[in-house]
Amino acid sequence: MHHNCLKYCLLLAFSWIFIVGSSYAEPTVAAGKVLFQNNCKACHNANMKDDMTGPALGGFEERWAAYPREDLYKWIHNSQALISSGHPRAVELWNKWKPTVMTSFGAFKPEEIESIFLYINAPPPAPVAAVAAGGEPTPGGVDKSNDFIYWILFAVLLITVFTLSRAILNLRNIVAQAEGDSHPIKELTVLQFLRSKSVISFLIFSLVVIGGYTTVNNGIAFGRQQGYKPDQPVNFSHKIHAGLQGINCQYCHDSARRSKHAGIPAANTCMNCHKAIKKGTLYGTQELTKIFASNGYDPSTDKYIDNYDKLSNDEIKAIYTKWIGDSYMKDKNLTALDRRGIRTVNEQWDNIASSMTNELKPKISGPIEWTRIHMLPDHVYFNHSQHVNIGKIACQQCHGKVQEMDQMYQYAPLSMGWCINCHRQTEVNFVGNKYYETYKSYHEALSKGEKTKITVEDIGGLECQKCHY
Amino acid sequence: MKDQSSYNDIWIGSEDLGRDEKFIDQATQEMPDGSVASMLAQGASFASAQTGRRDFLKYLGFSISAATIAASCEIPIKRAIPFVTRPDDLVPGVANYYATSYVVGGDYCSVLVKTREGRPIKVEGNPLSAISSGGTSARAQASVLSLYDIHRLRSPQIKNAEGKFETATWSQVDDLVSTSLKPESRIAIVANSILSPTEKNVLKEFQTKYPNTKLAIYDPVSSAAILKANEAIYGVAMVPGYHFDKAKVIVSVQADFLGTWISPVQYAHDYSKNRKIKDATKAKMSRHIQIESYMSLTGTNADNRIRIKPSESSAVLGRLYNKIASAKGESSINAPSLSGSLTSAIDKTADELLKMPGESLLVCGSNNIGDQALASAINHMLGNEGSTVDIQQYSYQRQGDESKVNALVASMNGGEVDALIIYGANPVYDLPFGSAFGEAMSKVALCISTNTSPDESTALCKVLAPDHHFLESWGDAEPVRGHVSMIQPTIAPLFDTRERGLSLLKWKGDNDLLFTNEQPYYEYLKATWAANVSSVSTWNELLHDGVFTYTPVASGASYKNNLSLLTSKLIQPGTGSEITFMETVTMGNGQHSNNPWLQEMPDPVTRCGWGNYLALPVAFDGTRKFIAHENLENGELADVVVNEQTLRVPVIKQFGQTPDTFALALGYGRAATGRAGLGVGVNVNPLLKTDSDGLIQYYASGVTVSDKKGKEDYYSCVQYHHTMGVTGEDSETKQVINADEAATVYMTYGLVRQGYQGSLVNRTIIRKSHLENIDEFIHDLQEERHEHQELNKMQVYPGHDATYARGHHWGMHVDLNSCIGCGACTVACMAENNVPVVGKREMSRHHEMAWLRIDRYYYGDVDNPSAVYQPLMCQHCNNAPCENVCPVNATNHSSEGLNQMAYNRCVGTRYCANNCPYKVRRFNWLDYTTADLWPINEPDLGMKSEKDGTPYGADNLTRMVLNPDVTVRSRGVIEKCSFCVQRIQEGKLRAKTEDRLLRDADVKTACQSACPTGAITFGDFNNETGDLNEKLKSPLNYIVLEEVNTRSAVNYQARIINKAEGVDA
Repeated sequence: MHHNCLKYCLLLAFSWIFIVGSSYAEPTVAAGKVLFQNNCKACHNANMKDDMTGPALGGFEERWAAYPREDLYKWIHNSQALISSGHPRAVELWNKWKPTVMTSFGAFKPEEIESIFLYINAPPPAPVAAVAAGGEPTPGGVDKSNDFIYWILFAVLLITVFTLSRAILNLRNIVAQAEGDSHPIKELTVLQFLRSKSVISFLIFSLVVIGGYTTVNNGIAFGRQQGYKPDQPVNFSHKIHAGLQGINCQYCHDSARRSKHAGIPAANTCMNCHKAIKKGTLYGTQELTKIFASNGYDPSTDKYIDNYDKLSNDEIKAIYTKWIGDSYMKDKNLTALDRRGIRTVNEQWDNIASSMTNELKPKISGPIEWTRIHMLPDHVYFNHSQHVNIGKIACQQCHGKVQEMDQMYQYAPLSMGWCINCHRQTEVNFVGNKYYETYKSYHEALSKGEKTKITVEDIGGLECQKCHY
Repeated sequence: MKDQSSYNDIWIGSEDLGRDEKFIDQATQEMPDGSVASMLAQGASFASAQTGRRDFLKYLGFSISAATIAASCEIPIKRAIPFVTRPDDLVPGVANYYATSYVVGGDYCSVLVKTREGRPIKVEGNPLSAISSGGTSARAQASVLSLYDIHRLRSPQIKNAEGKFETATWSQVDDLVSTSLKPESRIAIVANSILSPTEKNVLKEFQTKYPNTKLAIYDPVSSAAILKANEAIYGVAMVPGYHFDKAKVIVSVQADFLGTWISPVQYAHDYSKNRKIKDATKAKMSRHIQIESYMSLTGTNADNRIRIKPSESSAVLGRLYNKIASAKGESSINAPSLSGSLTSAIDKTADELLKMPGESLLVCGSNNIGDQALASAINHMLGNEGSTVDIQQYSYQRQGDESKVNALVASMNGGEVDALIIYGANPVYDLPFGSAFGEAMSKVALCISTNTSPDESTALCKVLAPDHHFLESWGDAEPVRGHVSMIQPTIAPLFDTRERGLSLLKWKGDNDLLFTNEQPYYEYLKATWAANVSSVSTWNELLHDGVFTYTPVASGASYKNNLSLLTSKLIQPGTGSEITFMETVTMGNGQHSNNPWLQEMPDPVTRCGWGNYLALPVAFDGTRKFIAHENLENGELADVVVNEQTLRVPVIKQFGQTPDTFALALGYGRAATGRAGLGVGVNVNPLLKTDSDGLIQYYASGVTVSDKKGKEDYYSCVQYHHTMGVTGEDSETKQVINADEAATVYMTYGLVRQGYQGSLVNRTIIRKSHLENIDEFIHDLQEERHEHQELNKMQVYPGHDATYARGHHWGMHVDLNSCIGCGACTVACMAENNVPVVGKREMSRHHEMAWLRIDRYYYGDVDNPSAVYQPLMCQHCNNAPCENVCPVNATNHSSEGLNQMAYNRCVGTRYCANNCPYKVRRFNWLDYTTADLWPINEPDLGMKSEKDGTPYGADNLTRMVLNPDVTVRSRGVIEKCSFCVQRIQEGKLRAKTEDRLLRDADVKTACQSACPTGAITFGDFNNETGDLNEKLKSPLNYIVLEEVNTRSAVNYQARIINKAEGVDA
C-alpha cells in the first residue's frame, strides 16, 4: 500500500516535471515577459518604441531581416564578439550607440531568446501592476477583531452581577425579617460601595495585573518598530520600480545574494536607467534631480560634470535650476520662465537642497543619506545571502509586498519570536545543495520516510549562536 | 636535581611549588583589592552600611523613573548612506584580503590583511611566504591597532619660535627643507635597518644630489657584532641565513631566537618542524641546548638549559671552540677561563654538536665581536655552512651599527652636521648615549623627523614630516637575499601623511614629472621593479601573492681564516652580581610600547604585563621555602643600582637564573609616546654601556639590588590568575589540598573544606615525558585515560552524542610540543573577537579579559626547571559544568558541540565562571568598551595624573579596528572563547554558496591561523579525513581534567622533550 502510494507520487512528480519542462522549452510570451523584465528592461524601454540606455526593440525583425536568425542569437550572447567579427548590422549598431556596450547574455538558450522575441512582438499589455520577480508574499495575518463580543459579554456579566447582588441583598433582608431582626441590612450608597474593602482590593488587584501585563508587553516590544514608515530624502516609490516596472529586487539590492547586507544601491546604480528617464511621472524633475545632483550628472548636456565634488552649492544650484527651468519651458512650450515657472523652480530646488543636506552634510553633492528602516540590534547577526541565496526565501516574506508600497515601511516585527517561528517551519533545501550531505543521518531518515522534511530547526536553527555572537 | 617527592609535579611559581600558606589566601581572591569580598573580610562599611528602607525606596524610585524616561525616548533616526559610485571590488559586509608586509625596522612578516568596508581589521599570515610561512608574531598581529592609534601625527608640523609644534602643509615643509638643504650640505640620516630595495634606491638618489649625506643605521636591539665578525670571517658583513629545520642539534648561546632574535617567526616555524612528534612509535626530535643568563622564551622551550652569567659567554664559546677544534684537529685558541661548575656541561654540549656534523647549528646572541667570530668558526668547523648556515641567501634583517651613531654624536657636537633626518628611528630613547644624542641635536640647524608618532627624538626636531603607517603605504622589503615581499596600502591614508621615501624624493628635487602622478611613490616603486626584475610575470600577480623569490648572484662570502684577529676581543668572566637587559616578545626596544594589546599581553615567561619587572633568582632553602634575593616577594619594589644609576623597580621571582644574576626588560619607561606606553615601567637604556668596539652590551656587572622599598600599586602579573589544580597545604590539617577548589568551597559553604572537589589534588593538566621513555609513557597515559573514561560514561545530556554525530562536531587539538608560548594567538584572539583592553589596575585585580590565555608551568629540577606552555581557551565541554548552573540559560550547548554564550541573556550571576574547572570565563566588571548609553557611566581605569582614565578604545578612531561580525560586550556579562563561531558560520556559508562539502580550510580559528608553528588544529570530529582526526590519532593525546568528566572538545598532545643526560647546569 505504502509503496503503491510512493509509486503514484513519483509518477505524478515525473509527469509534472515533464509537463513543466516541456512547456518551458516551447517559447511563450509569458516566459519572454519574465525574461525581458529580469534582464532587458533596465536598458530597453518596455514600450518597445522609445530609445533608452539601449535602442527600442520594436521592429527588430525588419532591421535584422537581411541576416540569419543565428546572428541575432550571437548578438545577444556576445555583442562585442559580433562587432569585432565585422558583421555589418552589428558594426552599424555599434557606430550609433558606442561607447554603450550591451551586456552579454551568454547563458540564454535559443528558446529563451525566442520567448523574448515573442514578447517584444506581442501587443503592449494593459498597464497592470506586475509582481516583481521573487515570489508571492505570505498572506498577511490580519485577525478579525473579537473585541466587540468581549465588550458585550462584559456588559452582560456586569448587569448579571448587579442584578444578582440586588437579589441576594433582598433575600437576606427577607431572611432577616423572617428571623425577626429589627435592623434590616441597609442598601449601600454608591460612595459606600466604592469605598468598600472588596471593591478597593479588586481595583488594586486589577491595576497590578493590567499594569504588569502592559509593562511586560511594552518591555518586550521596546525598540521594535513594526510599521515604521519614515519620510525619505527622495520620494522613491517601490511600487513604481518593483511593481509597475517589475525591476528585480536584486538589480538594485545586489549585495543581498553575496553579503550579509542587502545594501542600499549606490546613486550611480539609478543612473543606469535614469540617464534615459529624466523626468518622473509623479514629481517631474524634482526627485530625479536629486539623483543627478548626487552623482554630478548634468541632464541638460547628458554628461557627468568634471570635478563635481569640488563645486560649491551655489554652482550646483545654477546647473540644476537651469535644468528644471528648461524642462518646465519645454513642457509648456515657453521661451522664457513665467511666474509660475519661477516658483516651481524655486520650490523644487528648495526641496532638493533640503533633502540632500543635513547638519552633518552641508554639501549637496555626495551620497543620498537615506533613513534606515530595518534595524536589528547590534547583538544579532543576520546574513541576507544565507536567506536569499541558499534559503531561496522571497524578499517579500520578510519585507512584505514591497512592490505595492509607495513609501517603504517595516512590514515584519523583526522580533526574535518571529525569526524563530520561521526557522521552526521553514524546510531546508536539503537535497539541492551538496553541503548538506554532511547530515548523513537525516538523508537516511528522509529516504526511509522517517522524516518528511528537514526544517531549519533540525539543523540547529534555533540555537543561540546561530545568530548571537 | 633536588628531591621532588614532597613538591608538586608541575608548578607555576615558587609559592605553589613550596605550598606556601599565604599563597592560598592570595589565589582564592577573585578581586584582591577593593572588592566586595575583601571589604566584607575587613568588616568594612559595606555590610554594616546604613542603607535603610527609605534609601532603598529612593533608589528604586529613581531607577524606575530613569528607566521610564529612557524608555519613552524616541528611537533615534539612523542613516543608511550608500556609495555614490560603488567600487567594483567592494561589497559591504564582505571582507577583502590584501597581501602586504609587516615591516618595523628589521622585523619582518609577510601578512594578509583582512579589510571590511575598507577598514583593515585583522592581520593573518601569508602562507606563500617562504620566510614567515603563514606564521605571525604577537607584534604583527597587534600592528593593525597601531594604525588607529589616536596619538599618531596627523599632519606635517613645524616648530615655531616658542618651541611649539604648529600644523603645517606639505608644501610649507617641502619649501623649508628644500631651501635649507644645499648640495654641499652635510646631512646625516639616522635609521633602523632598511629592508626595502626601493628605499635604498631613494637613499642612493638622495646621496647623489647631496653627496655629503651620511647614513647611520642602527637596530633598536643591536646585532652589530654578528655583522662585524662575519665581515672578518666571511668577508661580508651579514647575518647568515639560519635553517633550524635542517638542524638535529641546536645550541644557542644567549640568543632568544624563538621570541625576539632577528627573525623569530621564521625560526620558530623551522624549529618546530623537528620538534613535532608525528609518529609516536618512531619518535624523533631535534635536541636543543640553550646556554643563557636569564629565562628566555627560547630557554623555556629547550631540552637542556645551562645557566651562565652574561659575562661568561666568551668563556663558554671559547671552551666549545677548543673542544670541537681538538676533535677536528684544528688549533685551539686562548680562551677565557670558564668556572669549574660549567665545564662538564659545556664539554658534553660540544660532544652533542660533534655527533651531528653538518646537521647542527650554533647561534649566539651576544653583541661581542669575538663571541660571534667563535660562533661562525664553530659552525664552519662542524661543516654547517651550506646546510644549517646559509652564507649565500643571507638575511638583511639586521644592518645596524650603533658605533656609527656614536660617531655621529661627536660630529654633531663638532658642528659638522648641517641637517639631521630621523628616518623612522628613535635614537634618543633606544641608545645608551641617547641623551647625549638629544643634546647634540640642538647643535644641528635643521632636524627633521619622519616618524609616524611623537617620541623622544621627534620632540627635539624642528620639522615633522610623518610617514604613513605600513598599512597605508606602498613599498617593498627584501628580508633575505632573493626573497622579495611587497607592501601595498589596505586603506587610504587616514591623516595628512606621506611615505618617508617620497619625502626624500621631494627634497631631492629634479623630479617634477614623478610628482604629477596621483600616487608618485607607487609609480616610483613600479619603476624600480620594472627595471630590476623581469621575471615577474605581471605586477598584479606580484601584488596578489605579496611575495616572490629570485636567485641572487653569489654573495661573495667565503670562509677566511681570520679568527685569530678577533680572539683578543673575548672577555673574561666577571665577578659579583650581574644583570641582563633583554628584549621582550611584546615591546621590542619600545617600538611597540604604545600598543595596548601588546602591553596587555603578559610576557610569556614572567607572565607580567604593563611594565618591566626585575627577575630575581630564587634559591631553595633546603627545607620548604624558595627564597629570593633579600627575601623580596613578587610585586615588591627594590632599588637596582647599575653603573651608579638607581632605578626603583617591582620584582618577580624567576626560576632558571644563577644566584647572582638578575634580568630586566628593555622597551619600557617611555618619556614621550601615547597614553598606553607613557611612563609604563622603567627605561633601562641609559644603564647600558658600549664596549671598545662601540657596540652596546646588554648586561652589566657590579649590580646591587636593595631590600624591599615598598610595594607596587598595581602588581600586574597574571601567573596566579585563573589557575586550575594548583595545590596548597591546609594550615590546620597539613593536608595537601587543591587551592582553587578550596577557595570555592570556602566561599560557598563556610569552613567546610574537605571531601568535595578539593580532594582532587592530582589533576590532569600537563602530561609530559622524555623522548627516551616515550613508550612507557604512552602505556601509562593510555591506562590512566582508560580509567578516566570509565567515569565519563555518565553524561549530563544523554543522547546528545547522536546529535553531535548528525552534522558537525567542532573540536580542537593543541600540540604542546609545537607550542612555544610566543603569544601570537592571544593577540589574534583579542583582535578577532573584540576583546577589550582593561589596563594595569584592572589586570592587577584579576580582571584581564583575554579569552585565550597561555599558562606557563615549570617542571623538573627546581633550580633549573623545564617549562611547558599550555594555550587554554574554552574547552567546549559536552558535559559543561557552566551550563547547568546558569539560572537564565544564557549559556547552553549547541548541536554542533559548541558551548554557546548569549550575552544579552546573561544577567551576570557569574555562577558559570565559578563552576568552570578550566577558569576560562571572563566577566565584564566594568564597561570596558564604553557601550553604555550614558557617557557618565564610563569607568575610570585607574590611570593617574594627566593620563585620563577612560578605557582604551573608547574613541571612534580606535573603534575602527572592531570586528563588525562580533558583538561588543557591555558591562555585567560573561564572555569566553566561542571557537570563533563567526568564522564557523562564514565557512559553512561559503561551502553552501559553492555547493560543496565543508573543508578544513573553510574554518580556521584566529588562534590557529596566527600560530607560527602550527600548534593548534581546529576541525570537525565528524570529518573522518580532516586534519583534526589525523591529529587525534596520536597516542600522546590527552584531555585536561579528563577525570572530572567534562568531556572537553579540546585535545592536548603531551609535551615530550629530548633531554641529554648531564648537560644541564
